[in-house]
Amino acid sequence: MNNQTKKVLILGGGIAGLTAAWELSRQNISVELVEKSCFLGGHAIGFTCKATDKCQQCGACSVEDMLKNVVNEPLINVHLRTEIKELKKSSQFNITLTKSDIELPDSQIKNLPSGKAAKGFSKYNNPLYVTESDKDKMGSSCEITADAVIVATGYSPFDPNRKSTYGYGKWKNVITGLDLENIIRENGSLVRPSDGQKPQKVAFIQCVGSRDERLGNLWCSEVCCPYAMRMAGTVKHDNPNAEITMFYIDIQNSGKEFPVFYEKIKQNIRFVRTIPVDIYPLENNGLELRHMAEEEGSPSSESFDLVVLSVGIMPGKDSSKLSAITGIPVNQDGFLDNEITCCSCSSSAKSTQTSQPITSSQSASSIAGLFVAGTAKGPAGIASSMADAGKTAFEAMKYLGVMK
Amino acid sequence: MTTDKCTNVTEKCADTKENCDNMVDISISKDVLVIGAGSFGLEAAGKIAAQGYSVSVIGVKTACARQSGCTSKMLETGKVNIMQDVAIDSLAGVTGDFRATLIKNAGNGAEYSEKVEKVFGAIVVAPQYSYSTLNKKYGLTLNDKVVSQSQFEAMIADPESQKKILNGVNGNGSTVAFLTGFAQEGDPTSTSRVLTSALAVQNMENCNAYIYAGNVKVGAKGLERLFTQGRHAGVVCFKPSQMPTIEQNLNDGVNTVKITIKDPVVRTDVELTPDYVVVEEAVVVGQQNLDIASTLRIDTDLYGFLPSNNVHRFPAKSNRDGIFVVNNSLDAANAALKLKELIGNGIKRVAANKAKVDEDRCVICLTCYRSCPHGAIFWQNGAAAISPAACQGCGICASECPMDAIQLGDFTDDSLRTSIKDAVVSAKDNQKDGQPLIVAFCCKNSALEACEAATKFGHEMPQGFRMVKVPCAGKVDVEFIMKAFVEGADGVMVAACHEGNCKAERGNIYAKWRVNEIQKRLEKMGLEKNRLIFTTIASNMAKEFAGKVNAFAAAIK
Repeated sequence: MNNQTKKVLILGGGIAGLTAAWELSRQNISVELVEKSCFLGGHAIGFTCKATDKCQQCGACSVEDMLKNVVNEPLINVHLRTEIKELKKSSQFNITLTKSDIELPDSQIKNLPSGKAAKGFSKYNNPLYVTESDKDKMGSSCEITADAVIVATGYSPFDPNRKSTYGYGKWKNVITGLDLENIIRENGSLVRPSDGQKPQKVAFIQCVGSRDERLGNLWCSEVCCPYAMRMAGTVKHDNPNAEITMFYIDIQNSGKEFPVFYEKIKQNIRFVRTIPVDIYPLENNGLELRHMAEEEGSPSSESFDLVVLSVGIMPGKDSSKLSAITGIPVNQDGFLDNEITCCSCSSSAKSTQTSQPITSSQSASSIAGLFVAGTAKGPAGIASSMADAGKTAFEAMKYLGVMK
Repeated sequence: MTTDKCTNVTEKCADTKENCDNMVDISISKDVLVIGAGSFGLEAAGKIAAQGYSVSVIGVKTACARQSGCTSKMLETGKVNIMQDVAIDSLAGVTGDFRATLIKNAGNGAEYSEKVEKVFGAIVVAPQYSYSTLNKKYGLTLNDKVVSQSQFEAMIADPESQKKILNGVNGNGSTVAFLTGFAQEGDPTSTSRVLTSALAVQNMENCNAYIYAGNVKVGAKGLERLFTQGRHAGVVCFKPSQMPTIEQNLNDGVNTVKITIKDPVVRTDVELTPDYVVVEEAVVVGQQNLDIASTLRIDTDLYGFLPSNNVHRFPAKSNRDGIFVVNNSLDAANAALKLKELIGNGIKRVAANKAKVDEDRCVICLTCYRSCPHGAIFWQNGAAAISPAACQGCGICASECPMDAIQLGDFTDDSLRTSIKDAVVSAKDNQKDGQPLIVAFCCKNSALEACEAATKFGHEMPQGFRMVKVPCAGKVDVEFIMKAFVEGADGVMVAACHEGNCKAERGNIYAKWRVNEIQKRLEKMGLEKNRLIFTTIASNMAKEFAGKVNAFAAAIK
């Protein structure tokens, strides 16, 4: 019963990796947690609380909690700014780690009195401030062995430049949902990038990169509708005069109690069922957004102070590289997927016979002891990623014989 | 194994050496009760039994669970006992030592029933919900042409009925219309059922499927692909902004339904008279689940679904330690993990002095029992007693107790009084001329984190600002707020978690009430009530925290 001799390597220090690490440590298993950037917490640690006076169940505080758990847990050994180079399976896994050359995005680089430094979003990120010289010292290049490996390398947000008509990067006040999170974390409320003022007219454009057959992205990112609606509620709470419009295809649920939440949010936000065509700049950094209005059945245009693009969840940029290193196949959407397809208890088995995944030949080659958790295998919100990471930790412990 | 157990309470051990010496080993029953014998209940039972615990499952096995075939394998282990005719009658005790009274031959108008008491270390609830067809909301009467989603699924699974659909009225196929998302918001599960059925219809020769949908809920794995596949196969999906106009004609042996919508693109009315109309279904909570929730004293969400909608419980936890809720396969695995963490080898080391009742003062008024959000309080020897295993140390009971009979181990009233005094003294030393002296009571789960982060990130706050750490805003007594003023604070802030985010469920609500009460008193005394404010904040709102303190300072200057 001495689990201490068992060790699991986790790739990725986002919410899925943190949760898996924590659950493993609860059963006295030691964890090597490898994160390629300089901070733990992944995308989610940068997310802002979406509460008005009431909690809106966004889960951002759970990420903070989990980060605190992990950094205080002696059984979890964290390697920041480190990535996997090689993985070999014998009786155990032999892993070669290497220092990553990841650069911090500009949005995280602040000018501090002590000189140029990068800043984490949480006080539990250690080190909280990374100076340029610290950064050079960070990173592990070493060989380690592990009894199981969990890949929790997360997702990449859709690159809004691929939707060139929206002018992201050209017009200052066209931002992504992730930019919006960062702006609120930095400033305590939403302000326009162009002038630092609170915007009065804000548009959210949904499904930027998701549900897009032309791009071949045949999936819903699941998080953007809940995210945009909660965010709209927060912005409206902070600035009751703000006029918010959401352009959408279909509104997706945010979880339990959604109908009540949706009814309430509909009183504050205008919903327009259409996907806008393009965006042009106006004077004073305003934006003109052109769309086909469903109700009028004719083209129309409207001006906004700020436009938020709800960029979708795409496979991690490294997923094919990780697939090559680990042998975990990628599915038809490009996400890592090592689950053998089994149809249990399916009453509709007959009607779905035609839709078999195409990677079956590859999944046969997947190696025992390798697991995938969180958004590395497809879209998920914070809560679902945590639940999935818990289940993955359970499966890994079953493999190790710690759980039966 | 002792080191293993100690890691569960490292936070305490790291804090003070004394607390480490103050640990007690309590024994936890290795028997587990699972309420609900649906597929997820049985999945959880199997996973828990595999860890070496013995599991009793109560409730009627569902068809789906019977099909899954896992039960016979589970029963062979001898660790799972399924009792189909047993229900839970009442529950006493706390985590590790729940005393459940089970009734045999429950319901079904049984003539006699037999009650047994059994001890369980933990309880798993796997709620079973039923479906109700929403035909009335569409003004429709169900018949052989107007059917529920479940009925239609049964029809296409049955070769005879399937042939009838295939043949249609005059041998050349059927038109099937699906109505979804107008009588209720719907969810990915209901959308998935509609899309699967519609595609099956479309794949039948000469048959056509039409979907009338509010929002197509494709927010789950594989659904957007299924939706696209359906459209490519020829399924037509209308998304009118309002419920379609539906006219059902049942006069003189006629049985037709006409569905009319205004097409927003071509801007004309689109009429359809389908051969079959398939109506969506709603998931119904049912009295049984509400009864279970009230027997176990666990919170439900707004609609009565288990568990309550609190992010800190996710996944699989309820507001009571040792009681878990399983609604899907992910929950089943997570519940098994958390249960193993709880029960371990049957011995758990916990802090002994989280909260203590002074038996001489206690008059058993039950205030603590009622106010405890974790169900940690019971009585013995003529006084209330607090289970060290179930107590989360929030202090709501201590603040609510009219006899002041309860003291927390880490936050005694005396230590809080000292903290308040120290905060004011230290603020006075640093206070700049003309700046107000502010004391903020900060919940350790949210405001404390935000406040510490604000300091660490260098967000500016007034020099005369100090915070007092409390285990939960629910432990901020009226007396403490008044004491802060008496010591010399110009303003007092009570900073709690947002409503619905409190780890003690209602600690923030108690705090808000108390602040409101004191504001009234201040007003009566001729004092400015705005010198006391209640605010909500999350742990990751460092900048907002600083902003709130600065705004408060400016307001009371």
